[in-house]
Amino acid sequence: VNLYVAAFGFGLVSTSVIAIAAVGFTMQFGITNMINLAYGEVMIASAYVAYYIDRAGASIWLAMIGGAIFGAIFSFLINRFIYAPFQRRGTGPLGMVIVSLAVSLMISNLMLPIVGYFSVSYRERFSNLMRFGPIALTVNQIAIIFLAVAVMLAIHGLLRYTRLGKAMRATAANPTLARNCGIPTQRVVDMVWLITGALCGLAGVVAALDSDSFTISSGAGFLITALAAAVLGGAGQPYGAMLGAVVIGMVTELSAAAWAPDYKEVVAFAILVLVMVLRPQGLLAKRGALAAAG
Amino acid sequence: MNTYYAANLLIFAGVDVIACLALNLQFGVSGIVNFSFIIFQAAGAYAAAILSMPPDTSPDYSFQIYFGGYQLPFPMPWIGGAVAGAVLSIPVGLVVLRRLRTDYQAIALLVTSIIANTVINNARPWLNGAAGLALVPQPLQDQVDTGSDSYQYLYIGLTAVCVAIVWFVAARIVNSPFGRSLRAMRDHEVAATAIGKNPVAMKMTIFIVGGAIAGLSGAILVGFLQVWAPSTWLYPETIILFAAVIVGGRGNNVGAMLGALLVPVGFEEVTRLLTRMNIGPPNLIPALEWVLIGLFILGFLWFRPEGVRPEPRRVYEGAADA
Repeated sequence: VNLYVAAFGFGLVSTSVIAIAAVGFTMQFGITNMINLAYGEVMIASAYVAYYIDRAGASIWLAMIGGAIFGAIFSFLINRFIYAPFQRRGTGPLGMVIVSLAVSLMISNLMLPIVGYFSVSYRERFSNLMRFGPIALTVNQIAIIFLAVAVMLAIHGLLRYTRLGKAMRATAANPTLARNCGIPTQRVVDMVWLITGALCGLAGVVAALDSDSFTISSGAGFLITALAAAVLGGAGQPYGAMLGAVVIGMVTELSAAAWAPDYKEVVAFAILVLVMVLRPQGLLAKRGALAAAG
Repeated sequence: MNTYYAANLLIFAGVDVIACLALNLQFGVSGIVNFSFIIFQAAGAYAAAILSMPPDTSPDYSFQIYFGGYQLPFPMPWIGGAVAGAVLSIPVGLVVLRRLRTDYQAIALLVTSIIANTVINNARPWLNGAAGLALVPQPLQDQVDTGSDSYQYLYIGLTAVCVAIVWFVAARIVNSPFGRSLRAMRDHEVAATAIGKNPVAMKMTIFIVGGAIAGLSGAILVGFLQVWAPSTWLYPETIILFAAVIVGGRGNNVGAMLGALLVPVGFEEVTRLLTRMNIGPPNLIPALEWVLIGLFILGFLWFRPEGVRPEPRRVYEGAADA
């Protein structure tokens, strides 16, 4: 039983990492209708920015903020100069997926000559171990859990209680109607890219910190888990993505304890298939993306 | 230019043309955004491999673990590959095609592709896991010396025959009444349903046909490469094929073929050329090529989103002038 309790602790950490990434990804899809396959590359680019800040001597928490700011600005610029012009030109959702893939190819290959193939890690990757009964987590991991909880609460507050959040939900539900009601949808969309970009950057640094070392190719793996959690919860649903992150994070770690670690991703994906068969719209999907949150 | 180089180029071109024709049937003609296309090619390749390889207990093959190993003579592995692609299409189609919205279908298929790759990558006992299968026998290798030039020509010929067959099938489907129904479903699914067409059945049919053709392309590829591993069928491969169909002109077989020649084959060649120029640090040139590929795709989607050869506008006798 202790093994499972310990695995539960690791599950909490995985859940936290996945949740930050998946909420950002699903909000981009829900509000701007954009399946942004470059998300994983922006995550890894932010992780590298944080890495350079970290190497320059700043603490990892400062580097994390730097990574989040970089992710926000980078995502905003990608949307402003690439995605938005294509969408205005009438490129369909599918064309946009191809555009985002082209962007992700370009980001990773522009980074490659700069950062190289080798795996790197943050200076603070080792931290003190803390024990709570059978659960043993490092200080970093506990910080990641608290950070994720804070971020989720912030997103909840944003969507539920602020004018901006209301405007976001309105834009997601019906952009034309929202514009006619006097909501500046252009500015709302800009804000969405900044916020989700910050989540993306933060998630990149957190994921890189959690996985000890990372390389430029880690971006694909980051994207996949975020995508899986988002689909599991119902694409475009922030609360669904949180739930999806809990399921995927817990199932991977618990099944690793129960069975073999080699199969932990397979088990998570098997659950995803099961959900797709039984409840194709995702766990929490309602009519329309990002429908009335809460 | 030596024969092996020419064979390499032509066979890759043939495989890509076959794959693009299949994808065009699914995506261009029927509007199914099959982001898991590459797993059907992979299924065909694996099936062809295990049908032609000896069992994994035989001396030269004991370093890998896989099931099957039937040592069937030449046409059987390729036919088996096509069958495997079709068979795999059935469960995937049943899960994904029934009730999902189109954009949701696309993500679900993308996730399916990633799941399949992860499963095969991690589960060593079935198909040798991440290391993949190696030493896959080439077709007719016990009758013709595979090292000779004439074998390369033979393989090119076999590929060409398959391209011709697939071309014929695809053209028949596109121009048949069934093809008309498919286009009607793509352009307006509700209207097609209202005049008595069953969209789910039509999607399933074209999904299976496309899966079979994709499986065939995988079988041809594995016979030539002689190796097949999860790293050869990651999901970006599907996106490259999509880029090819979009660049060529979706809905048009000629366009799909042109796209296959322009995007995957053209890129291979640019790669080779630039690598030979040997300038700059070692990582720089291959990296910059991918940046160029990205720019090329973006440029096409911006300046000519309908493709090189757009789908012809079909006018039927008796139809009111619109």
